[in-house]
This record gives sequence, structure tokens and C-alpha cells, in this order.
Amino acid sequence: MRNNQLDRRVRSYVDDLFAGVGESQQLYELKEELSTNLKEKIGDYKKEGRTEDEAFKEAAASIGDLSGLVDDMRNIGEDKVKQSVYSSMTNRISTAGLIIGVLLALFGALVTLMLYFMELPPVSTAGPAIFIVIGCILITYSSLTRETTKKFAMNKIRAMLYTAAAGLILFGFYTAVTSGFATGEMFIAVSSMMVFLLAGVGLWLGLVLTGRSRLKGQ
Amino acid sequence: MGKNISTDLIRGHTDTIVLNVLRHGDSYGYEIYKKIVRLSGNQYQLKEATLYTAFRRLEKEGSVESYWGDETQGGRRKYYRITEAGLRHYEQNKADWNFAKDILDKLIEGGIENEE
Repeated sequence: MRNNQLDRRVRSYVDDLFAGVGESQQLYELKEELSTNLKEKIGDYKKEGRTEDEAFKEAAASIGDLSGLVDDMRNIGEDKVKQSVYSSMTNRISTAGLIIGVLLALFGALVTLMLYFMELPPVSTAGPAIFIVIGCILITYSSLTRETTKKFAMNKIRAMLYTAAAGLILFGFYTAVTSGFATGEMFIAVSSMMVFLLAGVGLWLGLVLTGRSRLKGQ
Repeated sequence: MGKNISTDLIRGHTDTIVLNVLRHGDSYGYEIYKKIVRLSGNQYQLKEATLYTAFRRLEKEGSVESYWGDETQGGRRKYYRITEAGLRHYEQNKADWNFAKDILDKLIEGGIENEE
């Protein structure tokens, strides 16, 4: 509990040192570096018998004049050209992914609907629904790797894992429907769904529980 | 505070001092800080700001590289490693300093014989 409180105090102190400086990867890393070292110094002061409050104040005072670094970081933060090239490139890829995903999902839904009205056997009706699954997978990945005004983009590996989880769950439902219709047995539907669904939910829970906030301005 | 070395005197040498610490192995901010204070026999009150500015400068010129440690408790540490170029840079600075030291001695303490 107390440690958390100190963490927060250090964090907000460091944030204040760079108040009003534009966000950048370098600033984020410098803040983390400063916070870690500051916390260790406070820890040492406390071992020498000072109270947490005294230790904090002394460590904070010993940092000295950061104005050179603040200016440096401000220049990087204002260099929007470099940042926007990067983000517009990834955002363009994710936009393309979103469009293709939505179209694929719609295509799958419409073909399935069409086959349904053609009064074909349910097995062949359910087949094209795989496009809905693929479309949804594309939509998941594209929206997670997209940077918005409120959130940073998720890193690619993590987004990939989330996508795999969503894909497994959706594919589970798809297998349930097709194998159910193919055999006409409910138990086969449930059992074939189970494998994919369990793997998917497990992966998803693991990701949710280890996640960090991507909200900006923290 | 009277027995601390003047920051004006030391300013131009921060980079060399950091390189000297890193010559003995990779290290991170607070540890480098403690090593420098210890090297000075507690007679140099180094400010962290000076240190971080030096890290950025050294990294930009290619004298050091950095990487993140994988600590789980209390936040990750950013480690610095001296490069080949950094070692050469250090040797050059050391030679420069030894040369300057003698001349400064003469300039500050020397008397002028003609006017005795």
C-alpha cells in the first residue's frame, strides 16, 4: 500500500517536471528512467533513517536543473512531422484492414442469407459464414493497432494475440454450427466448439489480466 | 559545503567521468551516480540532471548504448554500455586532460622570472 502511494507521488512529481511537453516515446522512456532511479534513491535515504517524506523531498531536490532536458524533449514532442509519418502509415494499414474486414463480414452474412432463402440444406448454408469469422478477425486486429485521439495503438504482438483469441472464439462458434448441421447431433456441435472456445477464452483472459492502460495522458 | 569541488571546474569533464565509470562495466543511472560520488571521496555533489544530459549527449554521439533491464519490482532500469567509439573517446579525453593539467599548473602557479 505505502509503496504504491510513493510510486504515485514520484510519478506525478516527474510528470510535473515535464508538464506541457508533447508526448513522445523518448519522453515516456526518460520519465520511466528518472522515476526508477528516484525511487531507488528514496529507498536508500529511508534506509539511513529518514522518514519517507524527508527522503522524497531530499531526493527530489538533488535532481537539479532539468531545463536543458525539458527543452530537448519539447523539441522532440513538437516534431509532429516525424510522428505523423509513422502514425499515418500504421493508421492507413489499419484503415484498409477495417474496410476489408467489414466487407468480408458483410459478404459472408449476405451469402449465408442468400443460401438460406434458396432452401439448400443447412450444411451448405453455414459454409460461407466462415467469411464472417475472417472479417471479424481483420476488424479486431485493425482496430487494436489503430491510434486514436484517446488511446495509443496496441503493440503488434499483443494485438496479434488478442486477434488470435477472438479468432479462436469465433471459429469455435462456426465449427459448432457447421458440425452440428452436418451431423444433426447437438453433442457433436458442443464438443467441437469446446476446444476452440476454451483456448480462445483462456488466451483472452490471460491478456486482459496482464494488460496496461493505453489511455493517453497518464 | 566548502569542501566540494566547484561545478564550474568539473563541467567540461562530466562525459569523461561517466565513460570512466562505464569502462568498468554496464550500469544504470542511480548506480552510476553513486559510483561517481564514491570516486570523488564524497567531495563532488553531482546533480542527476547533469548526468541525464550527459547520457543523452553520449548516446547521440555513439559513445554509449542503452538497453532496458528486466526488473519486475520498482520499475525497469535503463542500463548504459560503453561502445568501441566511447572507449577511444575516453582515451583521447584522458590524454587531453593530462596535457592540459600541466599547462594549467604552470599558468596558475608559475612565476615570471624576468620580473623578480
